[in-house]
This record gives sequence, C-alpha cells and structure tokens, in this order.
Amino acid sequence: MHHANHFYGHAHILAEYCGLDPEHPPRINGYLQHGWNVVDGLGAGTPYVPGRPIFVWSEQTRRRAWSMGRRQATVVGAPFLYLLTLRPEPVSQPRAGTIFYPFHGWEGQHIAGDHHRQVEEIMETEQGPVTFCLYWHEYRNDKVRADYEQYGRVICHGYRGYMWRDTDRDFLDNQLVELRKHKRVASNRLSSAVFHGVAAGCEPAVYGDPMHLDKEHRPTADRVRRSWPELHGKHLDLPVARATALNELGAGYLASPAELRAMLGWSGYYTADPAEAKAVGAEVPA
Amino acid sequence: MIEMIGGEMPSFTEDRPRAGGALFGYLTAQFPAGAEVLVAGPHTDELIDALAARSTVTCLVRSEPEAIELDARGITVLCGTLPKLPVAERYDVVVALDGLDRLCSVEEDQFDWDECLQALKRVLRPGGTLLLAVENELGVHRLVDPATHTSAQTDSAWRPLGEFDTKPGNPTRLAGRLAAEGLAIDWLGTAWPVPEAPTLIATPNALQDGPADTLAAVAAGAVGQAYTDKAVLSDPRRLAAAAVRGGLGPEFAAAWLVVAHRAPRPSAVLALPPVLAGDGPVIELAPGPDGAWTRRVLREAPGRDLSALNGALPAGRLLEELLLAASLRHDLPVLRRLLTGWIAALPGATADNVVVHHDTYAWLDPSVPAQTDVIRRFAQTLLGGGYAHPWPAATDLQTLTTILHGAAGLPDDVPPVPADEELPLPDSRREHEEQLRALRRQIADATSRAQWYERELNKRDKELRKAREKIALFSGSVTYRAAKLGLGVARKARNRLRKGLQ
Repeated sequence: MHHANHFYGHAHILAEYCGLDPEHPPRINGYLQHGWNVVDGLGAGTPYVPGRPIFVWSEQTRRRAWSMGRRQATVVGAPFLYLLTLRPEPVSQPRAGTIFYPFHGWEGQHIAGDHHRQVEEIMETEQGPVTFCLYWHEYRNDKVRADYEQYGRVICHGYRGYMWRDTDRDFLDNQLVELRKHKRVASNRLSSAVFHGVAAGCEPAVYGDPMHLDKEHRPTADRVRRSWPELHGKHLDLPVARATALNELGAGYLASPAELRAMLGWSGYYTADPAEAKAVGAEVPA
Repeated sequence: MIEMIGGEMPSFTEDRPRAGGALFGYLTAQFPAGAEVLVAGPHTDELIDALAARSTVTCLVRSEPEAIELDARGITVLCGTLPKLPVAERYDVVVALDGLDRLCSVEEDQFDWDECLQALKRVLRPGGTLLLAVENELGVHRLVDPATHTSAQTDSAWRPLGEFDTKPGNPTRLAGRLAAEGLAIDWLGTAWPVPEAPTLIATPNALQDGPADTLAAVAAGAVGQAYTDKAVLSDPRRLAAAAVRGGLGPEFAAAWLVVAHRAPRPSAVLALPPVLAGDGPVIELAPGPDGAWTRRVLREAPGRDLSALNGALPAGRLLEELLLAASLRHDLPVLRRLLTGWIAALPGATADNVVVHHDTYAWLDPSVPAQTDVIRRFAQTLLGGGYAHPWPAATDLQTLTTILHGAAGLPDDVPPVPADEELPLPDSRREHEEQLRALRRQIADATSRAQWYERELNKRDKELRKAREKIALFSGSVTYRAAKLGLGVARKARNRLRKGLQ
C-alpha cells in the first residue's frame, strides 16, 4: 500500500515470519508503523487512504491513533520483535561497550547543536568502547564520519529505502547483530533504536543535548521526556526501563503467523480481486 | 359444565398467548393432590389438564368460545367478568399465572390491580394459597420490545395501560400490597424471559447470593432462545446478563411469581428450589450441603438426553461475554488466550454455551449438540452487534473469521461462507442502526479510496507518458540509429564468425 511499509525491511521480516518469500513480500493491505512515535503511529505526511488498517506497535499508540480519528488501527507489535523470534540470541556471545545513536533528522532536516560537546559527554559517561551508529546520510558525509571516528568505531545499518527502491532489507538484521555486541544502547533522544536495543538485551540510556531540529515542534519533545522519565538518564532503573520499552514495542501483542497473514491481507481474503487472492493464497504454505 | 356468571364475551377469543410452559406446569404440580383449584384467566390446555388430573379444577375465563372449548374437555368453567365472580370462600388454591390483566371483560366495572386481587382473595378458603404472576412493566421483555404497549392495536387492548397500570413495580412493593390484603408470601420468584411462558425462574436470594456469573449466563441463554429471529430494540441477552450480574435481576425480570396464603398458615407449604430452568424438561439449580451449586433434572423431556446435566453446576462467566469484553478493551493477549483455550478445550461449543473459570472451560448446557463453525458464529456476534474489536478493518465476516481462526491457533485457510447462510440471532433495531452506520462509513471510505486510486493512476500515466516520449525521442535520434546500425553489423559479424568456427 505505502512505500513506508518497506522501510528498514519491515515487510520483508513479516513475510519471513509468516512463512512467505522474504525477498518479495506481498503487498500489505494497510499501513505499517515504521518507527516509534508519539502520534498515531504513521509518519507525518503519510498519504493515508481511508478504510485501510494501520498496523501499530502498541496498544497505547492505538488508543492515541483512535483519539486522533484513526478508526482502523490494529496492534501488531514492532517488526523488530518478530525479527527477534526468528533470530534467537546465540549463547554466550560476549558483549562490550556502548552503541550510541546520535539523533538524526531525516533527509530534509538540519540539526542544530554542538556535536563536539555531545561526543565529549558520551566519552565521559560510557565505560567501555563506544560504537557510533550514524544515519545513512550522515555516514556518507566524510567529514561527519571522520569527526566520530576520532572517538570510536563508526557504523551504519544501511539505507531504509525509498519508494520501494534500494531498501536494505537487512537493516534490522544488521542492527540486531550490532546491538547484541554491546552492553549498552544510548542516544541523545528516545527513539526506535533505543527500544530495539532494550529488546535485544542492552541497558538503555538517553542523555545529552537532544539537538533540536529546526522548525521542530518543541512541546512534543518535552512531552516525551515527561511521559517516559524512566527512559531518560545516564543510568536507569533497568527493570522499570525494560518494562516500559517492551510495552512501547508491543511485547505480548505479537500475532501468530496465521493471524498476521490474515490481518495483513496475506491469506488471500483481504484482496478485492479474486484472481489476485488466489495468487496470494498459493504462496501460503499449508 | 359452564356457568355463565355475567359479563361474558360471546364472540371474543384471547389474542395473546396464554400462560403456560414447563416451569408453570411444574409449579402448579406442587400443590397437594385433591385440592379445589380456581384457574383464573387464560392458561394453556396442558397446564389445565395436568392440574385437573390431580385436583378439582374450575376455570374462570371471559371469552365464551374458550369456555365452550374447556367445557368440551370436561373442565368446570365460570364464564364472565371478575366483578361478577360469586363471593364464596371455596378454593384451596387460586392460580393466576396470567396475571390480573385479563380477568375483567369489556362489560361492567374495569377493576384495577388491587381490586382484582381482592376479588380473588375473597374466593380463597382461610389457609388457602394464591399462585400469582405480576408482569414487570420495566422487564427486559418490555425494554427490548419494538411495539408500544400503550398504543391500542389488538381486540384485547381496549384499555392499553402499559406502565400506567397500578400494579406494584418491584418485589418489595408486591409483598406490601399482598400483605395489605392479608396475604403472606411463602415464596417469590423472578421469571425470565417472557411473562407468559418463562424458561427460568430464580428467587431474588439465588440471584443475590448464588453464582451470579453462571446465573447471568443461564439468563442470557434463556432470553436468547426466546428471542431467536424476533424483532427487538436491542440485544436482550446482554441486558439480562448485565442485570443479573449487576445485582439487578429482580428489577429487570419479565415477571414476579408469588405463592401467598391467607391466614392461618397452611399445614403443607410448597418446597420450591431456588432456581428452575427448562423449556420442556425441568431442571433444578440449588446449592448442595457444602454450598457448591448443583444441577438436577427434575422432569425429563421426550427425545432429549439430559443425563449430562446432572451434577455440579459449572462456575464462571460466559465465554461470549469475556470475549466481547476483551474485544472492547482491545486486549489482544487475553482475547487470544480465551480463543485458544476455548478451541483447545471445547471446539464444538458455541461461545454462548461455555463458561470460563480461570483456565477451565465448561459446557453451560452439555445437552446442546456440538457445532462446527463456532468461531464464525462469534465473528458474526462481533460484527452484527457492532462491537468494537481489535481488527476494525476486517469488516466482512469471512475476513474476521479468518483472523479469529489465526488468533485461536487454527490455520487461516477458512472455507468461504455461503452468502445465504445466516445464523439465527435476535433481530435488533439498535444493531441495524450500527450496521447502517458501519456501511455508510465503508461506502465513504471506498469512495475516497477510489478517488485516491484515480489520482495515483493519473500520476503513473503521466510518468509513463514521459517515459514513452523519452523512448521515442531516443529511438529517432541519429546517435540511436548509428548505434542500431553498428549493433546490426556487429551481430552479423558474430554470426559469421560462429559459422566459421563450426
């Protein structure tokens, strides 16, 4: 339905979980939440088509979406949690250091803030080695990359994709592998990466200059800090932080492959065209 | 033998159902044999015959054709209007299970409720017993009735009083009004789902102190059965269950039944169980010596094997209500646990016939045959009732059934449902409204979706046109032609080379 469904290879992961071809995920009959947010689960400006379901990560997001007029939100849980069920953690893999996600804007936004002061604070706080994970457009910028490389390893999980093209369908797989190498996950802003880190077994931390975007809606950023104080700070109360983070990802709400197929329109029943329904149905293994 | 007492109606027959049914039959059979009984008002033939078989029965009816019929069956009949009933303290028992509304004919005085009661009391012997039904004007049956009782439609509605009648409005006031006439209550029961033929009778004590959840489930079942395919304002099952569960059973019952006596207290007092149920057979629900409730078949019904009913009464809430509540809360984990537990334990029982206590799933009525499409039935309940649920985009039965199958741990290859196959459910106006609203929304959504597709199509058409123009431009250019020529020459050279090699 919408190209955002393919961001970060989400559709591909769900297809694999459902027992379908992960290389060519069938069209999702609706909108999949592609990142953690404090609105209705959809990204800003998503051209929502009425009457189509939106698949959100958590029940809290669904309630919020309903109050914003989204009548057809269904909770499915974060695709990253589905990925975790497909990739059990290898036993006794040593973890060390911190993976830090400097807050990024998307392509069109520019960040205001002092990068150097931020990095110094990170190096003072973190005990072990620090890996910096940059967003793809920062990673491609040699200067930015070189700035971070003075302090630690610099990586990028890949390109999230745009208009179904160039999607790095291993984005979340790459992220999972990296997260599992680290003890801590940190960022200067609460974001999907921090939640994914918690789910992958890292201790979370959110601190430092939040680096506001120009034209950003500041009250929203403040609201995030007020709503989730347990996830903000250098050293958090882990059980509490973990419970909150898993809630936000929709832990406990994951559907079985059969139910997910039916919800996403992959059982062949959501499809209006019977010929297409047959074709989709044929891909479903017995 | 017919005795015309005056005020009889020569060409009128009652146009509403007469009082009867298995449970009324059971109640009237509890009086000592050989008693002198007056059956006041229209009652079914079965009830009268059963009474006549063990006691001396006199019937009081206002319709002459009905009096003639009764007489033809050998029953003693007083035909006429209640104000003309001769005052004589001659009956051991007066049965008025039709209430007091159909005792006065069109002739003479139109007695109100108290006057009717006085008239009946006057024919009771001292120590005599009155078995009386009082319709609840605010009972579930009235609240869901699309018809207006104060609007005169039928021949019998020459004074359609409805809720403007003077009859008592709750069991306490009923007891007070009886006491004022010197009648002491021995037993009081609440009757469901309709006054004329209840299939569930429970004492207020049982509703108050008994297993409220199970009794609410039994009440919902009784109501559901009575209203299959009947037009109602809203689903009476939910109303009945919510009332019983919320401690408002007596206030919402269709009718109240009393056994009351004139002083002195009769030597033989009726022993009636706290709960009676059944639409043919009669089943007793009562607490055992240890306080645990049991179920026992008191009367069998021909052709039905009810042996499974004897034993402990299953405890817990109705699965259907738990599923609906979890749906409304959007509590997917609980909903999935309930669906999975249900299908694993009782895959043949419909959701309105299962009670759940913790993780134990039990048949509410094990004598009901198993069904093969229980999930689809629940999907229909969700959609038909307009209930909010976690999959709001699944607006058709097939899709929702498929999702529920998946959520219950079953495969999602559900065979399509024949379009003409509709499950019998109460035909509720409020649900029609909801369905209408849902359809309007779906049409509005579909319309704007079609517009969106058109916009997308236009966009793609534009892109395609541009691409074609580019292709045409390139295919006509000198460079393109030169390249094409070069390619042709190269191909020929390659073919020649290949030939040479062979």
